[in-house]
Order: sequence, then structure tokens, then C-alpha cells
Amino acid sequence: MNSKYFDKVHTWGAVWNYAALAVMFVMPLGISIAFNAWPSLSVIGKVLLTLVPLYWVTAIIEVVTYVPMLGAGGTYLSFVTGNISNLKLPCGLNAMENAKVRANTEEGEVITTIAIAVSSLTTTVIIAVGVLAFAPILPRITAEGSVFKAAFNNVLPALFGALGAGYFVKHWRLAFAPVIVGVIVLVFAPETGVGILMFITIVASLVGAALIYKNLLSDALRSAKSGGHQPEKKE
Amino acid sequence: MQPHIVIDSFIYNMLKFIHIFLGGIILSDFKVSPVMYGIAFAMIAFIVAQSLFFIVKSWKHGKKIGIKKETLVSTVTSSILFSLAPAISILATVIVLANALGIVLPWIRLTVVGNLAYETVAAETALGNLGGSLSKEITDPSQFSTVAWAMTLGSIFPLTFLPLVCKKLQKKIGGAVSKNEKTAQLGDILSAAAFIGIISAFIARAIAGTSKTDPSTNAGVMSVCVLVVSIVAMLVLTAVSRKFKWTAFEPFTTPVSMFIGMGSAILMNIYLPDISSIVWR
Repeated sequence: MNSKYFDKVHTWGAVWNYAALAVMFVMPLGISIAFNAWPSLSVIGKVLLTLVPLYWVTAIIEVVTYVPMLGAGGTYLSFVTGNISNLKLPCGLNAMENAKVRANTEEGEVITTIAIAVSSLTTTVIIAVGVLAFAPILPRITAEGSVFKAAFNNVLPALFGALGAGYFVKHWRLAFAPVIVGVIVLVFAPETGVGILMFITIVASLVGAALIYKNLLSDALRSAKSGGHQPEKKE
Repeated sequence: MQPHIVIDSFIYNMLKFIHIFLGGIILSDFKVSPVMYGIAFAMIAFIVAQSLFFIVKSWKHGKKIGIKKETLVSTVTSSILFSLAPAISILATVIVLANALGIVLPWIRLTVVGNLAYETVAAETALGNLGGSLSKEITDPSQFSTVAWAMTLGSIFPLTFLPLVCKKLQKKIGGAVSKNEKTAQLGDILSAAAFIGIISAFIARAIAGTSKTDPSTNAGVMSVCVLVVSIVAMLVLTAVSRKFKWTAFEPFTTPVSMFIGMGSAILMNIYLPDISSIVWR
């Protein structure tokens, strides 16, 4: 792992990240100044009391979950442009699968960053063009009764079905535990947010993998304890 | 519907949209005023600049470490294709939120940081506290401002938190994975397990559902069939492209399978409406 490149990515990511934070406030500040309309602090307080416990806890879990999967550049970009679980994450996973690279390598870092940046540009362009040109007709396409409505209601099963197929065939033994655990959680707690559910299924999958590959796990632990550094595969 | 009726209706809607857009300038509808469009374009410029910056840097480094140009190009093309359908879904949410908030605020929010679930919940919570709802248009600028501030403040945490932990997290994981051959092998398996864990959360949602009343999050015959069709389509397309050595098509197998899955939902809705409407949650 070339730590110099990763260090640079973290520096760029942090700079863009904090710049995005400043840019985000342009919208509410601009509205308040332009229309001389300042928010009701009591309402803001009440809303934040509802949103913060849910979304800020989820944010911590999401950061811990996404960084190992998407790498540094991909994660910084994803958190600025949003729509991670339904777009950026599957797009990054798909790109790594196609390029046959793995997460936490320089190759994986490059591929996921390009995929997520391209996905951000595509989404930005589609939303902008859609808002400016198709706003009048889009409600017809996605309205109740439209023939396309059923398709748009099922974007996520279609997306994750297609994405999961390759992984499930290659690692079919690993798939049972997380799917079963996920279904059980939703049966008893259907309101579980996707961030929390994802965390639970990842833990279930990792525990399942540790049980299935327990010999490899104990070998790796023994080797790590003895400090037996072998030459790295590639660099 | 007759073609001329469709065209008339399209022209009528375009005129209505132009009227609303100009209305923002002439009649000062604050939700679609030039100020709002100005903010939206500034946000878009930021996102485009950031994305291009990372593409250029990663592309250069990719070539330096020996990633083939074809791999980089196919990453770009397959990512564009992969993003089309989810982006249209996001656009649909912008339109839904536009009923109450005008078109520009949801557009801005879903371009920067936003996500489908959060924006809807944040806006509804703020409007509920103001005695309104997403089904009613906001006409008071201070209510509009309150919603904008609430949506922004509720979502800033990851951006403040991420730079503090991202480097440490990645170093720990990367260090563990590249320590030696055995740990690298284990790292590959655990990495695949984590991927499968993520995908399984969404598979579980398609099987078990989260809300019976919302067709985009419920589960039933339709969601399970779409899931199965897209899995089968992916397996068939991958096998066919490998058998006939269509390497150029391989990166597109996932998005094409996704469209096939979505297409099956349309067909089921038309030809098997009774069966496809069975929902268990």
C-alpha cells in the first residue's frame, strides 16, 4: 500500500469535505438573507431532537461501514454528494467487481473513486436536466397508474439483485447468515433504518465467514502474533 | 390516449412550467426565485469541480500504477449506465418534494449530501412542527427558511466527523490486510463477506419489507420476482458474455440486468396485476 498516495487522498478529501460543509450553509443562509426570513429556533430545536439521535448515530455506523468498502476518495465523495446506500455504494462495488480489484488496495482506491465521481456527475446532470426540462412530464412517468411506476418502485431489489448475483455465486456459503438475519430483524422490527440493518447484516456475514473459514482465521491470527511477515503479494 | 392529446398536454405542461419559472422572477415566488436558482447552480458547480478533481487525480495515479486505460474507460461508462435508473428515482423524489417546497430546494438538497429517506423525513418533521405537511405548499418564507435550516443542520454531522476518523480507519484495515499472505487471504474473504452483508440488507428488505403502505419499501410477489429476475438475468448475461468472449459487454451486465429486473415489474403489473399486487408487508 502506497501510504503517500493515501495520505494525499485524505488531505484532498478533508479539504473538499470542509469546503462542502461551508457550501452547504450557503442555501439556508442565502434564503434567510435574501428573503429576510430567519428560522424559528424552537422549531429547529424540536426537529433536531427528532433527527439527531437517529441520523447522527446512523452516520457513525455508516462511516465505519463505508470507509473499508469504498476507500478514502470514494467515501469523501459519497458523503458530500449523498445517496450512498442506494447509488454510490452499489456503483463502487460494481466497478471493483468489473475491474477485478479489491478494496483497500491502491487499485481499488482508484477505481471506486472514479466510479463514485462519475456517478455523482451523472446524477447531478440527470437531476439538473430533469428539473429544468422534464419537471412537467416526470410526474406522469412516476405517477400512480403510470406503466413505469412499478419499475421505479422496484429499483432497489433490481439493483441489489443484479449486484448480488456475482457475489452469491462466488461465495454462496457466506450469503445465508446475513440474508436470514436481515429477514428476521425486519420481521420483528420492520422500521429498522437501512444504516442500522446494514450494520447488523455485515456483522452477521463476518461472523458467518469467521465460522466457515475458522482454520484460515486461526492460521492468520497465529501468523500475525508470531510477527511472521511474508513478502506482500503485490506492490 | 390520442397522440395529439399527449402533445397538447406536453405543451400545456411546458407552458405551465415556464409560467412557474418566470413567475419566480416576475411575481417573486420565493421558492423558485432567481436567488434559489443561483444557489442551485453554485452547488452544482461545486459538485462538478470536486468530482472532476478526483477523477483527474485518480486517473493519473491509476495510469501510474499500471491500471489499463480500457479498465479506466469501462469504469466510467459502466458507472454512467449504472447510475441512470437510481438517478431518475432521485429525480422523482425531487418532484414529490416540490409540491410543498418548490422545485429548487429539493433539487439542491438531493444534489449535496441528501438522500431519499433523510430529506423526506427531515422536511416532514420540520413541516409537522410548523403545522403543515409535505402535501401542502409552503407560502411563508420564514417556514421555508426553517425547513431549509433544519434539513441542513440535521445532515452536517458526517461531514464534520468523517475527516477525523477516515484516515485512522483505513490505515488500520489496510495495515491488517497487507500484513502477510494469510492475512491478505483472510482480508479478501472478510471483504467479500462485508460486501455480501451490505447486499443482504437490501435483499432482506425486498423479501421482508419495511412498510406495507409505501409501494417502494413494501415486500410481496413483485419485489421478490424483480429480485429473482435481476439475479437470473445477471447470471445468464455473465455466462453468455464469458462464453462468447464479449469482454466489452461485461461491465454492462449489472446495469442491463437491473433494467431487465425493472422491466419485469412493468410486465407483471400489466399482465399479472392480481398476483403481482400480493403484498405481505
